[in-house]
Amino acid sequence: MYGGDEVSAIVIDLGSHTCKAGYAVDDTDNTEKNSASAPDSKNVVKSFESEKTKGKRKLYVGSQALGFRRDHMEVLSPIKDGVVADWDIVDSIWDHAFRECLLIDPKEHPMLVAEPSSNTQQQRERATELMFEKYKVPALFLAKNAVLTAFASGRATALVVDGGGGSTTVAPVHDGYVLQKAVSSSPIGGEFLTECLLKSLESKGLTIKPRYSFKRKEIRRGEFQTVDVDFPNTTESYKLYSQRVIASDIKECVCRAPDTPYDEVAYSNIPMTPYELPDGQTIEIGADRFKIPDILFNPPLAQTIPGMEYFADIAAALRGLPQMVVESINKCDVDIRRELFSTILLAGGTASMQQLKERLEKDLLEESPQTARVKVLASGNATERRFSVWIGGSILASLGSFQQMWFSKSEKKKVVIALSNGKFVLILLSYEVGV
Amino acid sequence: MDAKDILGLPKTPLTIPQEKKSRPPKDSQRKPDGISREVYMLTGGLAPLMPSLDVSNLKRRPQSENEKITWQWLPFTNSARKDNLQLYHWVRVVNSVPPTGDYSFAVYNKSVDVIKYTDEEYEKYLTDPEWSKEETDQLFDLCERFDLRFIVIADRFPSSRTVEELKNRYYTVSRTILTARAPSPADVSGHPLVKDPYNVAQEIERKRALSMILSQTKQQECKDAEVLAEAKRITESRMAARAAEESEFPATPNVGSEGTFADTVSPFNLQLSSAAGAPISIGDNAFIPASLRMLRVYLRTYALEQMVQAASSSAGLRTIKRVEQTLQDLGVNLKPKVPTKAVCAEHLELRKEILTLLNLQKQLQYKEAESSSHRDNSYAETPDTPKRPNRIGDQDRTFVPDSVSFGGERSGKRDQKRKGTARISEGPSSPAQSKRARKLKSSDV
Repeated sequence: MYGGDEVSAIVIDLGSHTCKAGYAVDDTDNTEKNSASAPDSKNVVKSFESEKTKGKRKLYVGSQALGFRRDHMEVLSPIKDGVVADWDIVDSIWDHAFRECLLIDPKEHPMLVAEPSSNTQQQRERATELMFEKYKVPALFLAKNAVLTAFASGRATALVVDGGGGSTTVAPVHDGYVLQKAVSSSPIGGEFLTECLLKSLESKGLTIKPRYSFKRKEIRRGEFQTVDVDFPNTTESYKLYSQRVIASDIKECVCRAPDTPYDEVAYSNIPMTPYELPDGQTIEIGADRFKIPDILFNPPLAQTIPGMEYFADIAAALRGLPQMVVESINKCDVDIRRELFSTILLAGGTASMQQLKERLEKDLLEESPQTARVKVLASGNATERRFSVWIGGSILASLGSFQQMWFSKSEKKKVVIALSNGKFVLILLSYEVGV
Repeated sequence: MDAKDILGLPKTPLTIPQEKKSRPPKDSQRKPDGISREVYMLTGGLAPLMPSLDVSNLKRRPQSENEKITWQWLPFTNSARKDNLQLYHWVRVVNSVPPTGDYSFAVYNKSVDVIKYTDEEYEKYLTDPEWSKEETDQLFDLCERFDLRFIVIADRFPSSRTVEELKNRYYTVSRTILTARAPSPADVSGHPLVKDPYNVAQEIERKRALSMILSQTKQQECKDAEVLAEAKRITESRMAARAAEESEFPATPNVGSEGTFADTVSPFNLQLSSAAGAPISIGDNAFIPASLRMLRVYLRTYALEQMVQAASSSAGLRTIKRVEQTLQDLGVNLKPKVPTKAVCAEHLELRKEILTLLNLQKQLQYKEAESSSHRDNSYAETPDTPKRPNRIGDQDRTFVPDSVSFGGERSGKRDQKRKGTARISEGPSSPAQSKRARKLKSSDV
């Protein structure tokens, strides 16, 4: 029973790497959603160095703004360790999304905000406050990422493996609710893998020049000469950011999850893949193609990369992806374990790596009990995997029977009063979906 | 027929099947209008089971002229909401009159009715040493919010209680309140909560068993499978060894046969020795001999069969048939009716003797054939028409040179047999003779 009713809701998914926002429409038409853009959540701060305006910040948001190099520009991310650390930045991101990308007035549209599966009460309060006070939205709903991913695939019960930029989260969803006690997350995400790749390439002597640091002049027809351009006032964080952009592109193009656990000796002789850097240099990537994705399955592998030794102390506590999945399922009630094993969903940018699904399935078959049938599901379209949280939100916000669940301002007042009285009313906490 | 009476239908079964028969062949050849023949053939040439799009609907319905239809972005109220939030959506407006009525999806707002108890009721009926009032209140609050999804409730419950405990508390409280509020017990005895109480112990046990099944990883399964295969091999090898032992005994004739049965008389000892070998943990009833041994049952017929087979293994199939034929002629059953020890022994003896007899006879025939062929080769003359040998009187082979030429061998054999007959004059030979006589008959066409 899928009855759709469009109330022109907006769905916002704030991730650590990208923030996705768009209209919730009935059909999962990709073009509709993509046209609403996916602005970069990385933010830019420019610090004025004048006596009068010391300490004032100007924020630039968006991949366009970030692509332009400015003096003394720092790159900051609002999300640290999976939670929002700087709400001002989030504010400016949302402002940019509404005013410049979607061209809407927030007052007219109910908002569906996707939040991390293990979000704290305080974070929720801040988000609600921001939305209602600053943007004056008519209605709001906070949904968990894992639930939305499950809905995107049409299921109410599933185990969601969300491989995002900042972290990888494994969360079981039962009947539309996340089972909090069984959620596990690991800091190894897409960004971490990018950093590993960067360090690995540097250790091999290949320097990646940021895009702003060179200019290509056409000397003769078809031939280019690279000239280095120096910008002394460029901040370190910006340089790093630019390098990371290139490295993540390399990662997305070239990296593949290996079929068997990575072995230095076995992979030492594989053929190299060429990749052309923006400055015209062509680099060859061999064993790193398989080593980097295998870090997901075997975290201690990252220590072998020179430059990443600081990771050693954290690595001991981390488990690979298959172990996380099995642990998470075993923390759940016995009755639903079989169902969880047979519906494992992959979501997130990192999950769209090639061969990841097959490798995960293979590893899980060894670790899981014989009687349980293991099936890892992922939509074939890589774009859909990246945006599956947003798609789930879009589906949810346009359901007819969801319209009674919105959280309006009058209700919010009740909550504020209740909270100030000290009575622990769990209205905010519990706003999950039971469709 | 009674149903038809009740419904008032006419009882005419005969006409209906005929109608049905006539209709289908006609339908399959005819194609519906509006679809081209090729498209219709795509479905297999048959009408689809479910009614597909009605063709008339595909044509644009003529707009009712007097009405003016517009789509407007209007606010709406939702009776399923507690506040009066008004969201906007597209509404089909006819003649500038917006539609009335509740939001169409409000009907789907269903929830489970969870019992609410007052404080006095709690004091009176529901106090429990393991549950405090706050916890019970919390439980019921969560039950209402999550519509009795106990797994989610257990997840959200502040203190860590298992799902079974929560369910138990909830169902006990509900049942108590129901019975307490009901005017008489009979009213509520039909209520599902009262009728089938929640069985905590059983649920815990079931979950424990399920978790054990699910916790066996693949390596453990492999190991279990390996152990089972190994055990199977061991039992089979032991069984083969035992069968080989038993089959050795009948080979030594006469004297030994008593000994074999003496051995097998003590079946318990044998079973004990074999059972001790086979690991008891298997208990796999797939092996019938193993299970029989477990049950300490010894089938004498089975053992006898094995011995007979072993004894006659040296002879060919034809010989076995002849032995059995002989037995039948003697009036002896192929399998002894009452397989006691003595009877079996005698039966085996008889078989062996018959076998020996037949073997000797065969050897004799060969020898005589050889000798006759030597003699006949010395008289190498062109044969005349083969004379039918005179069975009765002709004892002197040498005066019948013709007979040996065509059916020479056969007649020679016949002579030999006659000679054999002359020699052997004991009882057992008579059926043999009659058998041979029968053979002669079959050969004399």
